[in-house]
Amino acid sequence: MAATDPFPRQPTVVAAVRFESISVTRDGVSILDGVSATVPKGSCTAIIGPNGAGKTTLLLALLNEITYQGRIHVTGNSGRARIGYVPQRLAFDRGMPLTVNEFLAMGFQKKPLWFGVRGDLQRQGLDFLTLVKAEHLAGRRIGALSGGEMQRVLLALALMQEPDLLVLDEPSAGVDFQGEHIFCELLDDLRRQKGFTQLMVSHDLPTVTHHATHVICLNRKVAAEGPPRQTLTDANLTAIFGMHMGLVNSRSMPEDKTNCSAPCCQGPADA
Amino acid sequence: MPDLSPLYALIALLLPFDCMQARFMQQAMAGLLLLAPMAAAMGIMVVNFRMAFFSDAISHSAFAGVALGLIFSLDPNWTMPVFGLLVGLGITILQRHSSLSNDTVIGVFFSAMVAFGLAIVSRDRSLARDLQRFLYGDILTISDPQILCLLALFLVFMTFQVVSYNHLLYIGLNPSLARAHRVRVAAQQYIFAGLLSLIVMFAVQAVGVLLVTAMLIVPAATARNVARSAGSMFWWAMLASITSAVLGLIVSAQDWARTATGATIILVACGWFLVSLAIPVLRRERAS
Repeated sequence: MAATDPFPRQPTVVAAVRFESISVTRDGVSILDGVSATVPKGSCTAIIGPNGAGKTTLLLALLNEITYQGRIHVTGNSGRARIGYVPQRLAFDRGMPLTVNEFLAMGFQKKPLWFGVRGDLQRQGLDFLTLVKAEHLAGRRIGALSGGEMQRVLLALALMQEPDLLVLDEPSAGVDFQGEHIFCELLDDLRRQKGFTQLMVSHDLPTVTHHATHVICLNRKVAAEGPPRQTLTDANLTAIFGMHMGLVNSRSMPEDKTNCSAPCCQGPADA
Repeated sequence: MPDLSPLYALIALLLPFDCMQARFMQQAMAGLLLLAPMAAAMGIMVVNFRMAFFSDAISHSAFAGVALGLIFSLDPNWTMPVFGLLVGLGITILQRHSSLSNDTVIGVFFSAMVAFGLAIVSRDRSLARDLQRFLYGDILTISDPQILCLLALFLVFMTFQVVSYNHLLYIGLNPSLARAHRVRVAAQQYIFAGLLSLIVMFAVQAVGVLLVTAMLIVPAATARNVARSAGSMFWWAMLASITSAVLGLIVSAQDWARTATGATIILVACGWFLVSLAIPVLRRERAS
């Protein structure tokens, strides 16, 4: 196992989220064991680790969905932090006649939906759908959306919260490679535009190496934490995944861009 | 107690059928016109929350509630809804704090309630006769105090619907997402379970234990086939539920029919459902 925190954290980093000794036990089994980590403000932080490492559990603790020991500090831009959440997949009844417009409005509109969606919320919903390049989906039923389309609608919903912190659980799950790449590029642009902090769980290393600015390697404990080129080393990855990953070559990573064996890095466009 | 005669006179005026000139029919119609919209709105949530089994468990606790009232010399019309409310809240508490699946939790309550009711009834054979009317329902015996209780429940329920309809849809879709986006999930779930229990108990008196879930589910299922949005689903469910109740009551009182009111209401509702099945097909054909 790699040494914890091989690259000491810079004390000047402003934390959007600080996990302090988070432990979660379920049915006598330890899921998280004293996890302490920091999500720098304005960063795109990725939590990586093998199956069963406790990645989603850490997110659920952050969202107050489960009981845990320890403390989690979330700092907002002004007072209490607003969290936008994009779940891995939305388990729902696909036969439900709920339009994307209604879906985006129902958390904000006090007037019941049977009186229709308020005009200003319709316009706002359309603006956010345009932002995530999904304006054509406004009138569609959510049950008729593909995995990638649903991800964009969920992202639009999360952005409508005007979040200080955007939490994404496996944003690339159920999306094809092209869709995933576009989704992550979109997130990068939006983060720069809106200034939120992005925290995502992923076990897709090419996505992480391309898009994350900060990485937390988790395997029940924090195995390593820091910028991708310092954390995604052969030694760390072998330690947390238990085998040689062969995807990331940290020695060839330039200053702010990584080099990987993912298909997107093999073509001339990204070479 | 307020005089409901003007309401009955209005019903007789709007529905000028021979059968609707009798007071007990006017009372039954008033009860159904209050119950049907509540069943329709609740049915939408029951379908979205996948809670048909929950309403079944509540309705089957009616026996135990009535039996307890008869044993302790209390009015069963009060012990039944109170007992149903306690069972509904009990199921919700256990669902929220247990790792067991919802179906398992409800199944345990369901079995316990039926067994408890049967055990009490088996001690005194005369109780079985009283319980039979709850098995099949009897809206024709509804009294003015019961109609006033239903009216009070209607006002509370519709207020809750106006305030919470959107949030309940959100929770039905995904509770974690709703919670992350600042919806008070626990409070809404408890209020929903309490109101659903009370409505189920009143619906038991109208259509009986055997058909109460149908009164909730069938109009909502019909609306699903027809509606293109969550907003329009509400109105379609209302239309299906109210017309089923009105037609069911009138048809059941005709000489050529003379059928049980509850069963007739559900049959009309099922008729609407069959009609609604054709609508998506017609839409597809028109689009192609």
